[in-house]
Amino acid sequence: MGEPTGSFVRSHCVGSTAVIYASDYLNKLTGERIERECRKQLDGGCRALVIDFSDTQLVNSIGISILLGIIDVAERSGARVIFSDVNAHTVELFNMLGLTRHVVLVRNQEEALLSADHTASEALPTSH
Amino acid sequence: MPESERENESHMRRILGRVGRAEFVGRAVELSRIASHPVPGSRGLLILLAPTAGVSELLRQGYDEIFNRRGDVAPVYFSIPRGQATAVTIAIEFLNTFLLQYLAFRRDDPTLCQAPLVLSDLVKLAPAPDYDWIDELLNSYNRIRFGANDQELVRLCFSAPDRVPRANGRVFVMLDLVHAGAGHTKDSRWLRTEMLRTLNRSAHPYLVAGLRRQILSTAHEADLSFETLQILRLDELRESDAGQLTDFAAARQQVRINDESRDLLVQQFERSPFFITTLLQAAREKNISLDSFLACERLYVDELLGGHIHQYFTGLLEQIAPSPELRCSLIKHLYEATLGSNARASFEVWRKLLTIAQDDLELLLDALHTQEFVNWDGGLVEAGGGPTVWKDFLWIRYRLDVQNEFRAQVVAEMIARALKRAPQTMASRYRRAAKLKLKDLLVHFNYQLVPRILLDYELFKESYRGATTEEISAGLDAETDLVRLPQVFHAALCSAYNRRIAQLPDDESCVIAHAFEGSAYSDDNEIVWLAAQIDSKLEVEREVAELWCERLEALAACCGFARTRLFLIANEGFSTEASRLLEHRGGHGVSRQQVELLTARLGEFADAGRSPEPDEFVAILPMGDDNELVAANIVEQIARRSNFGPEAINQIKTAIVEACINAAEHSLSPDRKIYQRFRVESDKLVITISSRGLVPSRQATGEGTKAAENLEPTEGRRGWGLKLIRSLMDEVEFERVDDGTSLRMTKYLRSSPS
Repeated sequence: MGEPTGSFVRSHCVGSTAVIYASDYLNKLTGERIERECRKQLDGGCRALVIDFSDTQLVNSIGISILLGIIDVAERSGARVIFSDVNAHTVELFNMLGLTRHVVLVRNQEEALLSADHTASEALPTSH
Repeated sequence: MPESERENESHMRRILGRVGRAEFVGRAVELSRIASHPVPGSRGLLILLAPTAGVSELLRQGYDEIFNRRGDVAPVYFSIPRGQATAVTIAIEFLNTFLLQYLAFRRDDPTLCQAPLVLSDLVKLAPAPDYDWIDELLNSYNRIRFGANDQELVRLCFSAPDRVPRANGRVFVMLDLVHAGAGHTKDSRWLRTEMLRTLNRSAHPYLVAGLRRQILSTAHEADLSFETLQILRLDELRESDAGQLTDFAAARQQVRINDESRDLLVQQFERSPFFITTLLQAAREKNISLDSFLACERLYVDELLGGHIHQYFTGLLEQIAPSPELRCSLIKHLYEATLGSNARASFEVWRKLLTIAQDDLELLLDALHTQEFVNWDGGLVEAGGGPTVWKDFLWIRYRLDVQNEFRAQVVAEMIARALKRAPQTMASRYRRAAKLKLKDLLVHFNYQLVPRILLDYELFKESYRGATTEEISAGLDAETDLVRLPQVFHAALCSAYNRRIAQLPDDESCVIAHAFEGSAYSDDNEIVWLAAQIDSKLEVEREVAELWCERLEALAACCGFARTRLFLIANEGFSTEASRLLEHRGGHGVSRQQVELLTARLGEFADAGRSPEPDEFVAILPMGDDNELVAANIVEQIARRSNFGPEAINQIKTAIVEACINAAEHSLSPDRKIYQRFRVESDKLVITISSRGLVPSRQATGEGTKAAENLEPTEGRRGWGLKLIRSLMDEVEFERVDDGTSLRMTKYLRSSPS
């Protein structure tokens, strides 16, 4: 069975951090695509997930519920989730539904990567 | 007039039909079968009706078609009149009708069919080739008419078509016994049998239509050979056809009706053309518009108490139980049976309850059985049946005649009862429509090969979550791991096996299918599939799946099924743990999407209100395909022109997106449309999002704004839409509508802080 094509989610890795780009409208379908990509990155050994919302204009409640699912999965894998470039209105929605209690929000991808890097180094075992 | 035009006009003539051909809906196949029946060599056609199916207009349309064809077959349509007519008067009426319609056809003069002529006038109208036999027939009639032998007269009248000389063509008698349904005296039973026997002896083709139980028992009593008979079964109209029939009838009667009321009538009258057209006729007579549930139910109750529907059922009851005391007693016992009391009782119990002689009780039960108000096989009587309108009639008669209650109180309570029931009736229809047709699906398995992944939710989720329909379709086409489905030879609702197994639904969502696997019909290959659809918006968890497994396994044990397979369906599939459990029990757990894909692959299923105000924008969008974004774009433009700031515009857009999603997700909408109104006022924007279909249960139990304010998510991480809307908008309230939901949201315009 081949991997479905056409449901492409833009992503790249920086070290052990995966950066995943959300689309302009976060709904059930696009949320599930992000979720799938996140799971793939976690299975591949990523220790932090940065979801970049710079293209995202609108999110709905189903999309937000899927984001919460991603946070759960990441937590169980010991990985961290960071949201970057979230517009003010989306932040307001995340606040209303309690998402911001479970995730770090940063201004841009650069900050996200720094934050992820910091977390990863904290998690590394110390050698003597 | 040119020949071609005359031919065309002649073909279009409406003779007995009460509606034009374009308005005659839902019976095209049956009409064609009737019109093509009188070919050389054909004999009898029995039309067996379900009680609410309706057949008279079908026969009249068939008459018109054969008449206008101008072939060698003269159609004759005769309907046994309702009421207390004797066998002799019915036979004379038949003779008169036969001669009138025969001569109308021979003279190609349809107006004769309705002409008020008596037998003595008719011979004068006969064309030369028909004069002698008609004159001879009428002489025989006059000889026998005033004699003492009624049976001879009846036979003479019904055998009249046999006198038509072969050279003058054939006669096709269509006998409509629908209204003779309750005639349960020995005389009326003898007449029906004699008519059928006489027609069957004739060399001409014929058709007899009536209630299915009545026609079959009459055919048996007449000792007809079923080998020479053709049978056409007429079930209820399809819902869409009944809806169209209602629209046409309302237009004919000039009664204003809206879609919601139309659909309610279709459901409440269980698609019966007779009751639907009767109510619309009453609406015209009383000059009432049927544009709300309240108007419909008020008129309905009027009709039950004293209108045409009242007359219909009262006439039926008077024929079944002629004496007022017996009638009252019958109403009491029939009504109490609808509540469960003596719903299954022996013939002896009924004799004691009604205190009548055995022969009379037999006739009475036979008449009730014919109408399908009871099931009686000669021993046990199962009462409590019949359509909703009959049960409502019984309820009213019981309160008035047995309980002796005040009429005003009964009227008020019946209207309230009907109004409270209306949304439930519609909700039940929407749920029924949204349910997967599990029985059909299983029957179509038919040993076909399908991708294994369609029966395994975990595998399917792993491969196709987030994929588009096209991607999934392409993926399934490329699948090489296939599984052969069993061949199902019998499928029925679980409730048909054991009603006592608790909590199993009594509908299409729980089905038992007996099947064979493998190529041989052997004990080893025999298997029973136990299928159930679980209502859930999220993946079903292990505990729920286990509960369903236990219920179905208990049913299987109770029925003694040797080998079984569980087949559970949930809208969003099953959690990993639940899937493991099902795998462990040798069952299948699949999502609705998988079932839809499976159905498509089995291959055999291929199948707003007021005007806007001047300052109001109206949009109607189809549900799905991210059309909530279209709504968001519309409202953005309107809000921008009304000087709302960017933050408020974003809030309004999100609120409208959520309202649209809610409407699409929860309503099981019949038209799959979202109706939107945007009203701009000096200080606010009022948005109303409406859809037809189910009312969310939490809204149905609450009141307007209060209900909206109290709504909290109760389904984990779903069901947040209303909470968001409430946070983003200034006022949120549900408007009362007959059918579905209408959510009004208001956003006030605030001046920007300086």
